[in-house]
Amino acid sequence: MTRTASIVGMIVNPNAGKDIRRLVTPATHTSDVTKVGIVRRAIVAAFESGASKVLLMPDNHRLAERASDRIKGDIEVLDMPLSGSRFDTIAAAHVFCQAQVGAVIALGGDGTSRDVAIGWPDAPLIAISTGTNNVFPSAIDGTSAGAAAAFVASGAVCLSVVARRSKKVVVKIDDRDKSLDDLALVDLAFINSMFVGARAVRDPHTVHAVISCVATPASTGLSSIAGRIHPVGRWETGGVFVRLGAGGRKVRVPLAPGSFTTMEIAEVRRLGEGEKISLSGKTVLAFDGERDLPVSAFGTVTAHIEATGPLLIDVEQTLVLAAQALMFDETARHISEGNHVY
Amino acid sequence: MEISTTKQFDLHRRMVRIRLFEEAAGRLAEANRLPGFLHLYVGEEAVASGVCGALNDDDHITSTHRGHGHLVAKGGDFNRMMAELMGKATGYCKGKGGSMHISDTSLGMLGANGIVGAGSPIAVGAAFANRYRGRGQVAVAFFGDGSTNIGAFHEAANMACALHLPIVFACENNEYGEFTPRHKTMAITDIVDRAAGYGMPGVIVDGMDVIAVHEAAVEAVERARQGGGPSLIEAKTYRYYNHHGIQNLGLKYRPDEEVATWKQRDPIFTFEDRMIENGVATREKVDEIWAELRQDIETAIQFADDSPYPTPDQIMVDVYTKSSTTIGTKS
Amino acid sequence: MSDERKLSYGQAFNEAVSQMMEADPDVFCAGEDIGAFGGVFGTFLGLQAKFGEHRVVDTPISEQAIVGLGVGASVTGLRPIVDLMFMDFICVALDQIVNQAAKLKYMFGGEASLPMTITTAGGGGLSAAAQHSQSLEALLCHMPGLKVVMPSNPYDMKGLMISCIKDNNPTVMIKHKRLLGMSAVVPTEAYEIPLGKGNILRPGTDVTIVAYARMANEALIAAAELAKEGIECEIIDPRTLQPLDTDLIVDSAQRTNRVVVVHEAVRFGGLGGEIASQIQELAFDYLDAPVTRIGAPFSPVPFSPALEQHYIPDAKTILAGVREIMQRNVIRG
Repeated sequence: MTRTASIVGMIVNPNAGKDIRRLVTPATHTSDVTKVGIVRRAIVAAFESGASKVLLMPDNHRLAERASDRIKGDIEVLDMPLSGSRFDTIAAAHVFCQAQVGAVIALGGDGTSRDVAIGWPDAPLIAISTGTNNVFPSAIDGTSAGAAAAFVASGAVCLSVVARRSKKVVVKIDDRDKSLDDLALVDLAFINSMFVGARAVRDPHTVHAVISCVATPASTGLSSIAGRIHPVGRWETGGVFVRLGAGGRKVRVPLAPGSFTTMEIAEVRRLGEGEKISLSGKTVLAFDGERDLPVSAFGTVTAHIEATGPLLIDVEQTLVLAAQALMFDETARHISEGNHVY
Repeated sequence: MEISTTKQFDLHRRMVRIRLFEEAAGRLAEANRLPGFLHLYVGEEAVASGVCGALNDDDHITSTHRGHGHLVAKGGDFNRMMAELMGKATGYCKGKGGSMHISDTSLGMLGANGIVGAGSPIAVGAAFANRYRGRGQVAVAFFGDGSTNIGAFHEAANMACALHLPIVFACENNEYGEFTPRHKTMAITDIVDRAAGYGMPGVIVDGMDVIAVHEAAVEAVERARQGGGPSLIEAKTYRYYNHHGIQNLGLKYRPDEEVATWKQRDPIFTFEDRMIENGVATREKVDEIWAELRQDIETAIQFADDSPYPTPDQIMVDVYTKSSTTIGTKS
Repeated sequence: MSDERKLSYGQAFNEAVSQMMEADPDVFCAGEDIGAFGGVFGTFLGLQAKFGEHRVVDTPISEQAIVGLGVGASVTGLRPIVDLMFMDFICVALDQIVNQAAKLKYMFGGEASLPMTITTAGGGGLSAAAQHSQSLEALLCHMPGLKVVMPSNPYDMKGLMISCIKDNNPTVMIKHKRLLGMSAVVPTEAYEIPLGKGNILRPGTDVTIVAYARMANEALIAAAELAKEGIECEIIDPRTLQPLDTDLIVDSAQRTNRVVVVHEAVRFGGLGGEIASQIQELAFDYLDAPVTRIGAPFSPVPFSPALEQHYIPDAKTILAGVREIMQRNVIRG
């Protein structure tokens, strides 16, 4: 694939890091000022590292405009209608795909990365955590992320070397009057609840079952249940299914940051790649930790795990390769001219 | 935390009562039957209902100039409310307060307030008294996004945190300070971004979803009751009608599409749909509730109509309390 | 014997607060620096050590919230004393004082009472300049719902402060900064001086001087001097400015036929205008001369002692005022 320009796309979810979990756990509040700072650092670093253009998702908080204010360079805030919801992220990711963006930086929690993956399934992604339970994204500073994104976008560092294909839980919902496709990047949970309410899954007694494609003991949130009894790494194939209920092991898990609870495990099962699991009946589906979709008593949810998630860029490895190629030397500044390494 | 059927009906009832009261007040105002200003709460019902549904009868709230909803949600009496709006002697304030000062101290409702931001320091005082007495009561300060630009709010928030008081700051962010959009009056979008500056947690909830508001309110109130100190809940909501009245002066300051979009997420109708979907309620049951409460409104209007106006000799009554305490000195 | 015990004006305030806090667990104090520090004028000294941090509360420098604390705590059943350090700072808290404290009871149809006391220190004479020296009592007296008290001596201070605390309305107790060290005999037991009752500080027959706070003391000095000239002044100290003891003032005016009103506040729009007006409405036919008003000139309080000493009225100013009013000879028909 030839690229005419080295475009870095950036998405900042204005709503991440502010939900009810700040009230019930020691979860971090991520202010708009913090987010603007990260994006601003990423923009500057992207231009410094050879990006020819930065595309930004607009948002109702005007974070994109504030982050790019007075920075010299070809910066474009997408002209798109705003809903103020996750659909903005989905739409922007889709536009980035059409615009041949070379790397996407997304700020948010697991849910934000999920929305990018919906809008652009093959997105070359750097996911920066500014959310609550951040299993998929990591704590990366904008300065590093911007640089890595630019090196990848320009082709100076080859995407296929520094990015790996992540997994996702592919979900199909068949209900009375609807049939929907959806996905999760970390976990899909079946919650015994009537309402979406404040979204975060907080009451351990309402968790019926969880399908996780990433579950490590270092996880926080629903995926930590499987993570603490049957870990499945980010780069392993398949995932794990956990059904909660009396009779089995009782495990202490951090269902939210800094908040531990005992979960009773009725069933744990390794899920192979593509292995389908199906549950019927009334539930509220939680995608990556947030209650999102009520399913009626007549509904059936089928899910499996496959390695078709976003291409997750390893920021540190990208920068190491760039250093080895002397790309930080003053003489090697014009890397966007097609001076590819690897 | 799963919300019981009883609580669901309770929250629903609070919202429907507010809606019906406000719609009726709006109609009366349009017909020139209410003197003075009228700031309607229609659209924001989930906030007052979700929060007050998490409070005990002896907890306190302070309110705003858009205060009918808070009083209704705290259990206000339609008859006395409607009479007050009409300026009648049987009203909550005996015709001396009106819409903007409607109150019921026996319900812990310490008044709607004509001064933007003024309720928060008073809530701090109530919270102080509650802790002082040690009976586990909490105070809630309702306030709008616009009032966070006034000094009183900042003083109250800081003092509440400095003194670690049992208080919840409940922000109704309806995106407009009177007629001016929020983005023209502050450089931040989320009021919760202010919370950390005082050292308290702040959370955003969907203010059109009574369950979301209620979940957060229960946690915040419990935190305050247990000695965990202040917290801030920002409910993103919207008022359907104008800053005051229904059509106000007919001025255009927000697009019709925006209003229409918010109305699609009506807090009452979406909640009813969920209750029916969940098998908790039936359409017939819901209709019955509306019909019953509509009757209460008609009764209230009749009561207010039939009530006398205060006589001129009442002007000088209740400027001062006549008594003083007998404790402490020989009288 | 204990009746002969002397206390300063500031100590009398402190004792009133202390005795009421002992008697009534609902009484508490809140304000800037009033805790361990005892208040910038020492009027709260020792109270926190005696009653604990929960009853003598150090607050942030937040005048609106301090008064708001008093409003909210009193309307929910406590009996707060909230301190505003300098009287000038009431301007920072004016919404809570004027629009909230003064009006809540009325606006709520009587279904509320606010037994709160706002304490503050007014008056000049310390070279504290224009933002720390004002006498803004007229502003407060204009607000239905408030009671305003300005004692002129230690005895009155204790009795009036106790009455303020016990009153079920928002009261404002204005301590005069220059009187804090004034010493006098003050009874040990708790006693009340009823709000709205003035005091004849000195009986006289020739002229009535209405003066309060520090000016009452200046009037006493002037009266002693005038007595030597054969002019017998009657000095009325209203003590409470809202409600004002108009009866006492009018009765005196009817006996002496001449009235001089003195206050430290700016003359224009000051309380003297109201008092003069009341007298002419109720005792016009008794007057041998127009009511004289003595007050500060219409300027902010200046800083330099060289200016301030000429700005604030004193015994000399009063002396001149009285002499002038006495020169008017009216032949009664």
